[in-house]
This record gives sequence, C-alpha cells and structure tokens, in this order.
Amino acid sequence: MNVLDINDLSIDFPTSKGVVHAVSHFSLSVPKGRRVGFIGESGSGKTTTALAAMRMLAAPGFVAGGSIRLNGVGGTDLLGLSDEEMRRVRLRRISYIPQGAMNSLNPVMRVETQIWDGIVAHEGHVEPGELQRRSREVLAGVGLEPHVGQLYPHELSGGMKQRVCIAIGVCLQPDLIIADEPTSALDVITQRHVMQTLREVQDKIGAGLILIGHDMGLMAQSVDDLAVMRLGELVEFGDVRQILENPRHPYTRELISSVPLVGGDSFLDSTPRAPEVQTDTGAPPLLEFRNVSRRYGAVTALHPMSFRLDGAVPQIISIVGQSGSGKSTMGGLMLGFNTPSTGEVLFKGQDINALGGAAALTFRKEVQAVFQDPYACFNPFYRVNHALKFPFKRFGLARDEAHVTTAMEEACVAVGLDPSLVLNRYPHQLSGGQRQRLIVARALMLSPKLLIADEPVSMVDASLRATILKNIHDLKDKHGISILYITHDLATAYHVSDYVMVLYHGHVVEAGPPKEVIGHPQHAYTRLLIDSIPWPDMDRDWGSAADARADLEELDRISQRPETVYRGDVPGFHLAQA
Amino acid sequence: MGRIPASYLMNRAITLVLTIVIAATLIWLIPRLSPVDPAEIMLGRMTAGAGTVEGSEQILATLQERFGLNDPLLVQYAKYMRNILFLDFGLSTASFPTPVSTLIANALPWTIGLMLISIVITFLIGNLLGALMVWEHTPRLWKVAIPAAMVFTSIPPILSGLLLMWIFSAQLQWFPLTGAYGLTVEPGWSWDFAGSVLHHGFLPALSIVVVTFGFWALGMRGLMITVQGEDYTTLAKAKGLRPRYILYRYMIRNAILPQITAFALKIGLLIAGQVLVERIFAYNGMGKLLYDAILDQDFPVIQGVSFVIILMTALAVFIVDLVYPLIDPRIRHEAA
Repeated sequence: MNVLDINDLSIDFPTSKGVVHAVSHFSLSVPKGRRVGFIGESGSGKTTTALAAMRMLAAPGFVAGGSIRLNGVGGTDLLGLSDEEMRRVRLRRISYIPQGAMNSLNPVMRVETQIWDGIVAHEGHVEPGELQRRSREVLAGVGLEPHVGQLYPHELSGGMKQRVCIAIGVCLQPDLIIADEPTSALDVITQRHVMQTLREVQDKIGAGLILIGHDMGLMAQSVDDLAVMRLGELVEFGDVRQILENPRHPYTRELISSVPLVGGDSFLDSTPRAPEVQTDTGAPPLLEFRNVSRRYGAVTALHPMSFRLDGAVPQIISIVGQSGSGKSTMGGLMLGFNTPSTGEVLFKGQDINALGGAAALTFRKEVQAVFQDPYACFNPFYRVNHALKFPFKRFGLARDEAHVTTAMEEACVAVGLDPSLVLNRYPHQLSGGQRQRLIVARALMLSPKLLIADEPVSMVDASLRATILKNIHDLKDKHGISILYITHDLATAYHVSDYVMVLYHGHVVEAGPPKEVIGHPQHAYTRLLIDSIPWPDMDRDWGSAADARADLEELDRISQRPETVYRGDVPGFHLAQA
Repeated sequence: MGRIPASYLMNRAITLVLTIVIAATLIWLIPRLSPVDPAEIMLGRMTAGAGTVEGSEQILATLQERFGLNDPLLVQYAKYMRNILFLDFGLSTASFPTPVSTLIANALPWTIGLMLISIVITFLIGNLLGALMVWEHTPRLWKVAIPAAMVFTSIPPILSGLLLMWIFSAQLQWFPLTGAYGLTVEPGWSWDFAGSVLHHGFLPALSIVVVTFGFWALGMRGLMITVQGEDYTTLAKAKGLRPRYILYRYMIRNAILPQITAFALKIGLLIAGQVLVERIFAYNGMGKLLYDAILDQDFPVIQGVSFVIILMTALAVFIVDLVYPLIDPRIRHEAA
C-alpha cells in the first residue's frame, strides 16, 4: 500500500523575470516502509517537492497543478485541506527532518521541551510523567541518554542535534518521514551513524521515507528506490540497484560518474609525471612549521608539529580530517591569520608573524587562499572584476588598464570560464561554481608560490567539483604553484595530492603518499574514515547501526592515545617524526 | 535555570565600576574646559537683581573659596570623587544654597515614574507590532496599518506633545494641560493623589510612546525576519505547532534577546530625550531640572543630573547582564 501518492505535481515561482517552473508534472508514490531517495543538484526541485508535501513552500512559490494524496488521512488531497487540518497532518502523519542540523533546534529551549511541545500540539494535554517517559523512549531510540533531554541545543554536538531531530520526527510514529539532506553538515563518521540510526527507527515504526540528497554514495547505502531530478523534472525513477548498475538517462550516468572514488579512475586525466630529480638549491624552504602548536584556552587545536615544504618542485599536500580536527587551524596559521601558541611558521626562511611592511606585502602576494564559501568571498556591491583587478593593481603587477584586462581574461580562460560572460557581473548573478572558479582565477593572476585551499569544493555541486579540482591541480602542473589542500573528503585528496596528512584532534595520525595512506590505511582512524564513506556500490556494505556505534567507541579509544603512522616520504616535503 | 558563574559576575561588576568612574571623571572634566566661572555667574545674577552689589570683589572671592575653585585641579577632582561616593554633588548655584542631591531627590521619582511607564509600554507595544509586521498569520489590515503608524516616529516629541495637548487638553479637555498632579490634591499616599498623578502623566507618557515605539518596531522587524528564516522556525512549523505558540515561544522569544540589551541602554537616553516633553508639560522631573540648569549654567546640577543618568544606564546594563544568562542559556555556556 502506498503512503503517499504525488500525481502530476507542478510548482511555479513567479519572479520579476517571469514564472520559474520549479517542478513540472512530477508523479511518484512512496509505498509503506520503503525508502525513496530524491537525488539532484541544487535547483533541481527536490526540496521544493518535499516542502509541497508539507504545504510549507516558501513564498512566492505555489502549486500550479496536480495532487498530493496521503492515505493516512483517507487518501485526501493535502492541497485541499484547511490550514488547521494541515497542521494536524504535520508530524503526526508526515514528519520533516530539515537540512541544517546545526540550527534546527530552538536555542533557548531544552531538548525535551522541544519533543513535548510537538506531542502536546497534536494530543492536547498529556501528563508530565507520560511526556517524560515518551521523550526518554524516543531519545533512547536514537541512541541518546535520558539526560540529553535536559540539555540545551548548544550543549550537543552536530550529530547529537541531528539525532534529536530524528527523535522529534518519529515521536508520533508518522506514516512518512521526509529527511532533507539530514547529514550534509556532518562528517563521514557521524554521517554514517546518523543515517543508520534514521534507517533503524524508520524500520521499527514502518514508515515510508523520502531521503533528499545529492550524494550518490549515500543514496546507494540508504534507499530502496531512487528518483533522479533535474531542473524540476523526474528524469529517472526505479530500484536503486538497477539505476546504479544500469542508468538509462545520460544525466544519471553523469551523476554517478561525478563521484570521486578512492582507488577509482582519476577524474584529472593527467598523465603521471616522471619523478623529478630533486635538486638541493640551498634556498630556504617555501613553507616550514617549526614545532607549531595552537591552543584556544584549555583546548589544544593543534599539537606541536614540524614540517618542511621545499617548493622547488610544486607539490599538493592534503590535510584531511573531520570537523574539529585542527585542519582549518593549520590553514589559518599558514596564512598568518592565527598566531602559533608555540613555535614558528616560516615562509622562505622568515617568520611570517614578524614580517615588515614590504616583506608582508610580498608574503600576501605569494601566498593565496581559496576558502569554502564562494558566496561570502565577494563584496556584493562590486562587480566581480573588481575582486580580480584590485589585488593585481595593489601588488603593482599592472602595467596599464589593457594589461589588467588581458590578465583577467587569461586567468578566466585558465579556469575554464568565458571572460565576456562573467567579468562584468555582480556576484549574485553567478553560480557558486563560477564564483569559486573566479576565486581560483584571482589567486592565479598574482602568480603566487603557495595556495592554501580550505575545503574549496565542499559547497559546490558534485558535477562541478571535479572541474574546480582540476583547475586547482593545473595550478601545480602548469603554473608551478604548491598547494595545501585542506579537506574532509578523502576521495578527492586521494586523486589530487602528492602527500596526505590525516589529522585527528590536532595530531597527525597517519602521513604519506595518498596511494598508501588512503589506498591502504594502517591507522585505525584512517581506516574508520575510509570505511565510513558511503560507496555508490550496492555490493559494498556500509555496516549496521551497531557497527557504526562500535566504531564511535573505537574512536574514543584512539583519542586516548594518538600515535602517528608514517607511510613514507615524497621528495620536497618532509614531516618531522616525533 | 542554574547558577551564573562567579567569574562572569566579577567581570560584569568590574565593568560597572569602571564605567561609573570614567563617566564621573568626564562629567567633572568637561565643564572645567569651559572658560565660564560659576562664581562670576552667581555674582552676575545678584548684580542683575539688585543693580549694584557692594563689595563684589570680596563676595566673588568668598564664593570661589566656598566652591573650592581656588584649589589645585587634582584636589578638586579628589574631593569631587569622594563626594560623589556619598551622592553629594554640592550646592546648586542657581537655587543657592539648596544641595543638588535634594533637587534630584525631588525630581527623580517623577521622572522614573513617567519614564518607566512610558518606556515599558513603548517596549511592549513596539516589539509586539514589529513582530506582527513579520508574522505570516497577522491579519492583512494590521500589516498595512502598522507601517502606516510609523509616520509618528518621524514627528519630534515636542510637536507630538503639543498636538496631543491641543487635542486632548485644549479641545476635548480630557486631560489637564500641565503639571505632574492637580493643585487641589495633597501629595501623599492616597487614591486621590495617585489618580491625579496618572491623569497628569498620561499625555506626557503617550507623547513619548507615540514617537518612540517605531524604534522598537523596526528593530524587532529586522530581528524577526532573521528568526523567521532560521531552521528552528521551519522545524517548529513542520512539527505542526500552533501558529501562536510558534510566534511566542520560537520567534519572539529568540528575536527579543538583542532588544533587551538595547532596552537597558535606552533607559539613560530617555531622561535626556524627555527633557523637552517635561518642559512642555511643565512636569517637574529630571528633564526639566536639567533644562533649567543648562539655562542657568548651574554646573553642580548639570553634573549631578548627568551622573544620575549614567548611573542609571550603567546599573540597567548591569542588571540586564545579570538577567541575560537566565533568558539565554548560550551566554551561561560562554561565560563558563
């Protein structure tokens, strides 16, 4: 029996430039107890469809046609219900687990109160003791201790918050759960635990599940049926195994092939370079950490570490780890945004925190950065060419206006953008991928020696990730720039880097060439990271919720006594062994 | 709600004391940068009253001696700081020899009464209206009417005061024109007196409310728009909570937090802002006292009133800082 039947649904957004058809003629059914994935890139209409089922479309969007029938309320069309009737459907019949795990809970209310108010809104007065018992029961169902109920959201980790949201979503045993990218803000280890928890509780109450996402691997490991959406249309629907193994629509094939795999074919299609002979020029290393550590109050974000990047031969050094592992702290230290608590950061033999005026300017020119959020990197009041021009002139590289224009155009072409299409626009007129490539172009114009790329692709769509990483990789090959690539994504680190350092709680736990460290991990933590990656392969098991929990306990054990596994050196980079 | 950490308390208390000391110093310093000699002003006033004053040189010297104007500046400063500790601001030069503290003690209750009533009403009305401007279930009529009412915010309080006076006192004769209480009632703890005070305070309070509620409404509107876009508001709706419950417990409850800090800061500003309102309604509060003191160049009174304004602001901020951890659990966490 179907829980939900969406029939010929169309959703329009009237805008000043005409009507945008966010969803057109979408039909799909969710059977009881079955998990259906909605996959597609941003703007494909997957979240809009789900919000329509909740009748929570953001203004000015509206349903232009079709029906959404819910069998739990006698198969009536949800679109015809009154506001009050629809309110009663929410949570009791369809529950929604929103995307932003970090901000989904009211910061001034205790966790249990936020479970209780949902129960009371649908059942009227319930005895306090009964509420207490039920909130404990649902919290236990998602693996949280009873005392968590008395905490405030800021006292929970991201994974715990998302499990609280799941607990809220299942507390009234709905017929259908809609989970909108429930793990997008979580690292892989936590993601696996949260997804397994969600599957477990959904199985227990027998509800249907709609999982919205953009990660083919996560879908393969989590759902039964898959709906591929593109520009508001359902392009392919079917059993997930059949779609993965035999995709019919070209877009589906593109989505599957855009997932970078550890050990899979490289998306860089660059021929491996012949190992260059390292010549000792006697020049000071490009970047050096001497016993650098960083503490924030009582917390040590980075334990003392020393390494040397010669820079004579350009290298891509990856720093991988979960959120809170200290990888962004390292990036900040390299850029001089953070001062070390102990030790020194040296650039070409000079302490970057003690540079004079001219030297500081040279340092800023030679060390460039690409950050995570392409939306926050541009001043919204200027056209994007301003962001490219300004540093170029400021560092005295411009000969005349024509030179600036040529340099900008060359940089755009180098990252695969058509200069005539992007340069004269305002940031909000460009996509996230275009903006991120412009940031790379901006860095390139200054011909730096070193690029610090902190999660440069985590906020852009999967199909664009490969392109941007290729742009960054070209900086090394074609422009001789050394790169420090900071990421949580092991698969991309595997492909682009020459050397990988795995960070955990501010310690390097495993380091060496990526084929060794990621291809054949030896440290328990690295193995756990790699096991937690959801593979777009039905024959590769992601393990059960119990496995995920056991792994988390394993993590605790590791954090007691971190040790480093050294997996060999590459020429031009040297990590000091403790 | 749990305990406030001692370190947080200490931190705030030190800030409070420092603020008061710095403010007191500035109040002392600024008039001394002016070339006017208060003793000469007093003498000038006496001369104006009597035509000629015999032995004016001597009187001037005595006055200067009496006010301690001959002491070195540092000694004057030390004396001033010691006196301020006991809320002794010296003697008024205009109403010589009444102590400034007596003048303030007489005026303060009137102002606090008027001010607290009007600012609390303004705060409540302003924030509620601001929230309603954003809430999706607000009746359409209200959504039109509230922004229209913002027009009053652009009217200076003196004008709105005069307008209200003209309508309600002169034309309709519902409220008395001026004064803080009726001439026929004896000040004291009686119902008659309380009624008279409320009757007299209504228009001044209304003139303040009408022109200042927009400040809160617009601030609240901005905060509510942010809160409306928060994921927890989306989840609240997805939970099928009743719209009113979401409005109060999820939206206003979070949006109001920064407004509470602004409220504390406003308390001090309000005495200053009330100067003209009190003047128009001949309301014998701190505002009128300050106004008259400035006209008379009565330095001790100006100093005393300014100090009280700062003291009240600093205390209000201190109290809000103490209350804040109780209304926002995140602060307690950061402080710990």
